[in-house]
Amino acid sequence: MQYIGEHLLPGQLGHFFIVLSFVAAALSGIAYFWATRRRETAGFEGWRNLGRFSFILHGLATLGVIGSLFFILTQKYYEYQYAWANVSDDLPFEYTFSAFWKEQQGSFLLWSFWHIALGLVLILRAGKWETPVMAVMALAETIIASMILGLYFGDFRLGANPFDLLRDTMDAPIFAQADYLSKIQGSGLNPLLQNYWMTIHPPTLFLGFASTIVPFAYAIAGLWTRDHKDWLRPALPWALFSGAILGTGILMGGAWAYQALSFGGYWAWDPVENTSLVPWITLVAGIHANLVARSTGYSIRSAYAFYLMSFILILYSTYLTRSGILGDSSVHAFTEMGLGIQLLLFIGVFTVLAAWLWLARRKDVPAIAKEEAAASREFWMFIGALVLFFSAVLITGATSLPVWNKIVQAFNPDYVGAALKDPVAHHNRYQLWIAVFIGLLSGTAQWMRYGERNWQAWAKKFVRHIVIAGVAAAALTALNALWLNIQAWQFFVMLFAGMFTLAANVDYIITFLKGNLKQAASALSHIGFGILVLGILGTGLNKEWISSNPFAMEGLIEGMGNEEMNKNILLLKQSALPMRGGFEATYERDTVERQTRTFAVRFKKMNEQGGYTGEEFVLYPNVMYDREFSKVVASNPSTKHYLTHDIFTHVSSLPKAELDPEFAKQQEDSLRFESYEAAVGDTIFTKKHCLVVEGYTKQPKHPEYKPEKGDLAFGLQLRAYALQDTQGYAAEPMLYLRPRRGGFTLPANVGELQLRVRLNEASMNQWMAMEQDLKFTAFPMKEGGTVDFQGYKIHFTKANREINHPNYAPEPNDIAVAADLEITAPDGRKAKASPLYLIRDSQPFSLRDEAPEFGLHFQFENIDPKTATLTISVAKAAGELRKIPVEIAENAPRSDYIVLEAIVFPGINLVWGGSILMLFGLALGMWRRLYPQK
Amino acid sequence: MKRSHIIAVAVVAVAIGILISASKDVTTYANFAQAAQNGERVKLVGQLVKERPVEYNPEKDPNYLAFYLKDDAGEVRRVVLRAGKPQDFERSEQIVLTGQMQGETFEAADMLLKCPSKYKDQEVYVRSEKG
Repeated sequence: MQYIGEHLLPGQLGHFFIVLSFVAAALSGIAYFWATRRRETAGFEGWRNLGRFSFILHGLATLGVIGSLFFILTQKYYEYQYAWANVSDDLPFEYTFSAFWKEQQGSFLLWSFWHIALGLVLILRAGKWETPVMAVMALAETIIASMILGLYFGDFRLGANPFDLLRDTMDAPIFAQADYLSKIQGSGLNPLLQNYWMTIHPPTLFLGFASTIVPFAYAIAGLWTRDHKDWLRPALPWALFSGAILGTGILMGGAWAYQALSFGGYWAWDPVENTSLVPWITLVAGIHANLVARSTGYSIRSAYAFYLMSFILILYSTYLTRSGILGDSSVHAFTEMGLGIQLLLFIGVFTVLAAWLWLARRKDVPAIAKEEAAASREFWMFIGALVLFFSAVLITGATSLPVWNKIVQAFNPDYVGAALKDPVAHHNRYQLWIAVFIGLLSGTAQWMRYGERNWQAWAKKFVRHIVIAGVAAAALTALNALWLNIQAWQFFVMLFAGMFTLAANVDYIITFLKGNLKQAASALSHIGFGILVLGILGTGLNKEWISSNPFAMEGLIEGMGNEEMNKNILLLKQSALPMRGGFEATYERDTVERQTRTFAVRFKKMNEQGGYTGEEFVLYPNVMYDREFSKVVASNPSTKHYLTHDIFTHVSSLPKAELDPEFAKQQEDSLRFESYEAAVGDTIFTKKHCLVVEGYTKQPKHPEYKPEKGDLAFGLQLRAYALQDTQGYAAEPMLYLRPRRGGFTLPANVGELQLRVRLNEASMNQWMAMEQDLKFTAFPMKEGGTVDFQGYKIHFTKANREINHPNYAPEPNDIAVAADLEITAPDGRKAKASPLYLIRDSQPFSLRDEAPEFGLHFQFENIDPKTATLTISVAKAAGELRKIPVEIAENAPRSDYIVLEAIVFPGINLVWGGSILMLFGLALGMWRRLYPQK
Repeated sequence: MKRSHIIAVAVVAVAIGILISASKDVTTYANFAQAAQNGERVKLVGQLVKERPVEYNPEKDPNYLAFYLKDDAGEVRRVVLRAGKPQDFERSEQIVLTGQMQGETFEAADMLLKCPSKYKDQEVYVRSEKG
C-alpha cells in the first residue's frame, strides 16, 4: 500500500548512519588494536591514523543518528514509533530532550555521544597511550552501536532500531488506511518526566558513566603494554574527573527524587540508585590505590583491579536497569526491550578481557617485596580502599538478589526466590559501619606520611593532632547530640567518626597546609564526607512528619494505638487545622492550568500557647492529570527551604471524585437534587439550609470554567447558611453555551455544608428567550448627555478607546469604541455599562452590554462623526429573570479536601553541602594533577 | 605471619560474619498459604481482585487501605496497608507486597504496583506508615 504523508527519508538516513557508525567503530577498534601491537614499528602510524580516521567517522555518523532522531522528534513525525510514543503536538520544545533520552535507544546514543567527546580529547591529549586506550574505547562504542542496530539474523534481532515505523511495530486496523497518519496523534511524554531535572540529570549521569571507561581503558592499556607504572599518572586526573561527574550525576538524582518526586527523601536504596553508587565507590577506592601507587609503588595491582571493576560495574548497572530483571524490586527501571542477551554479552566481553589480562599479567606487575610500614599513610589508605570495596560488595550483593534468583531458577524451576525484607533498614545497618571506618581512617591517614622511615620523630606530632581531633570530635558530637534525636549508640559512633574526620582535616588544612586550599583537595573531600555524615543523621533521625494531628485523629481510627504515627493529614478546604510541630495548616484554594492542578496550603507557625507567631508561608504542591483528565499521573511536592531545615509537602491522596471522572459522575447521579425556583432577593429553604439569591452575573467565575470567545455564560450568586447559623458560604453555580459545543452546567459545592447547587438547563432557555424578546428604543446621544428611559437616567460619560468588553477579542486593524454609560435607577441605585461599536474589515459590529440588576440592555448602534452623535439603543427585559430554577442536593459527599503529607527534614543542607564539598575536592584534585605548577 | 595475610584472614572473617548476620534480612517469595504457615515476613505477588470492594476512607483515616488480593495459587485474602491509597491503585496489573499474615488478613509493610499506562509501564511504591 502507498501511505500518504509519511516522511521515510530521515529514518532511512538515520539507519544508514547507525550502520555506518557501527562499522566505523569496529574498524577503529581493529586499527587501534593493530597500531598498539605494531607500536615502535614502521606500520604503527598507518594503523593509528586509520584508527583516528574511523573513530572520527564513527563520531560524525553518531551525530548523524542523533540529529535524525532529534529531527523526527521535533517535527513530530508520528509515523516513527519513537516519536509517536514520546512526543505530542502540545509538548513544549525543551522537553524534546527528555523525550529523546527517555527510551533505551536515546540513552545509548547519549552514552555514545559522551564516549565520542572523551575519545576526541584522548586522541588529542593521550600521546603514547592513545592507541591502546582508544582500542578499548572503540570496542565499547562498537558494542553500544550494536544496541541500536536493528538488523535481523534469522529470527534474532541485533539491537533495537530507534527509527522503527509505527506501522511495523504495531498491528492495528488503522494501518489498513493509506491516510492513517492524519488520524493519529503522539502519546506525549509522561508528565513525571516533564521537568528540568529530566533535562539535566541524564546527561550528567551519562557523562559520569561514560567517563569511567577512561581509567578502565588506561588500566587495560597498562596491563596490555606491560607499562605498569606510567599509566598511573594520566589515569589519575581522569579518575578524579569521573568521580566528580559521576558523583554529581548521582547527587542530582537524589535532588530530583527529593525536590520533584514524591519519594519523601533523597536516597531510598533503590536498586537503580545502588548500582550507580557502587561504581562510584570502587572508583574512589581506585583513586586511593592510584595515589598510593604513584607515591610509593605499592598497590598497583589494587589500582588496576578497582578501575577495571568500576567500568564493569557500570555495565552491570546498565544490565540491571535495562534488562527488566529488577522487575519487582525497583521503582524506576527501564522497560524491557529484549536487549538482555546483548547486554550480558557487553558485560561478558569486558569482564573476560579485564579478568584475563589482570590474571595473566599479575606476576608481571612490579610489587615491592618489603611490606609497607604499619604507621604509613599508604597502609591505612589501602585499608580504607578495602573498606570501600567491602561497601561495594555488600550493596551489590543485596541488590543482586533478583539476578541470583534468576540463576538458581534456571537450574531449579521450583526455587521461590529470595528478597530483602526491608532494603532501607538492611543497607543502613551495614553502611553505617562503613561510614564509621571511612571517617576514622580518613581522619587518621591524613596525618600520616607516605613511605614513613622515621616514625619515632613523627609519632609525637601525629599523636598530638589525633588527640586534638579526637577531643574536638567528642565536643562536636556532644554539641550535635543536643539537636539530633539519637536513640541508639551506633549513631553516636557514626556521628563521632564523621566529626573526627571533619576536625582532623580542618586541623590539617590550618596547621599543616597553612591554609593553602590549593593543596587541600583530599582534606576538603574528607571534610565534605564528615558534613555529609552529619546531614544523613540529621535528615534520617530528625525527619519528622508534621502532617498529623494527635488530637483530631484520636479515637477515630480503629485498631490503632497512640504509638502508631500518622503521617498523612486530611485538610478540608478553608478550614485551619493544627498540626504537629506547632503549625496550623489551611488548604486555601486550588487552581488548574493545563494538566496541572495546584493547591495552595498556608502554614502558620504557632507558639506554645497556640497564638500566632507572625511566621507563615504558603506551599504549592500540585498534581498532574493525563491529557483526558481521567486520572492523576503525578503528584509533585512543594518545599519550604530554611537554612537549617526543609518543610516538604506533597498531596498524597485526593477524594475519589477528583481522581476519577467516571466515579464523580456516578456520585453526581446518585445525589438527590430537589428543584426550587427563586428570584433575586429570595431565600430558598431546604431541609437543613437556607440559601439567599444575591444576584446573577454574565461573567461568572468557576474553578472549572475557562471563558472562551463567543461563550454565553450565566452565573447565579447565592449565599448558603445552615439553619440556626449565621456563617454564610458563597455558592455560584453557572451555565454556559459555547458555539458548536453546546450548553454546560457547572454546579457549585459548599463543602462545609455538604451542599451541591446547580442550575437547571431549562433556565438557559429561559434566559436565552428573554434575550431574544428585547424591544430596543434608540436614543441619539452626545458625550456628557443624559436620557431618560422608563424612569432610569442614562448618562453617557465618555467614548472610550480602551475596551474591556468580555466578549471582545482585539484584532489588528480593528476600530473599536465603547460608550461608557452610567445608569441611575428611580430608587437611586447606580450601575455601569459599556456597549461596544466596532469596525472590522470595513464591517460594522456592535456588542451589547447590560446592567443586569435593572434588566437593562444597551446596544451601540452607530456613530455620526460629523455631529459626534452616537445612537444607543436601550431595552428592558420584558419578563425580568424573575424565577430561576435551581436544583439543590444536601448530604453531598465532600470532595473539597486533600490528603497531605508534610515532613520536616532538618539538616538537608548539610547533605547537599557535604556532598558538593566532597565532589569539589575531587575536581580540585583533578585540576591540581593537570596543572601542578599553578 | 605477614601483615597482608592477617588482613586477608580478617576480611574473610568479617565477610562470613556479615553474610551470616545479613541472612536474617532476607525473605522468600511466598503465597498466602505459605505465609500463614511460617508466620514470617514474606514477599508476595498477586493481583487486585477488582470485583471486591477497596476500602479507603480518608475522612476517617488517610492511612488505612484494605483490599482483596489473589495470589499466584489463586487464593484470595484481605490485605491491609497502613498508608494512603496510591493514585493508580485500581489500575494496577500486579502488586508486590512485603508483610506477614495476621490471622485472616495480610498485614503489608510496603507495596509495589505495576500499572499499565499508555505512556510507559509505571510502577508505584508505597511504604506502610506504621512504625
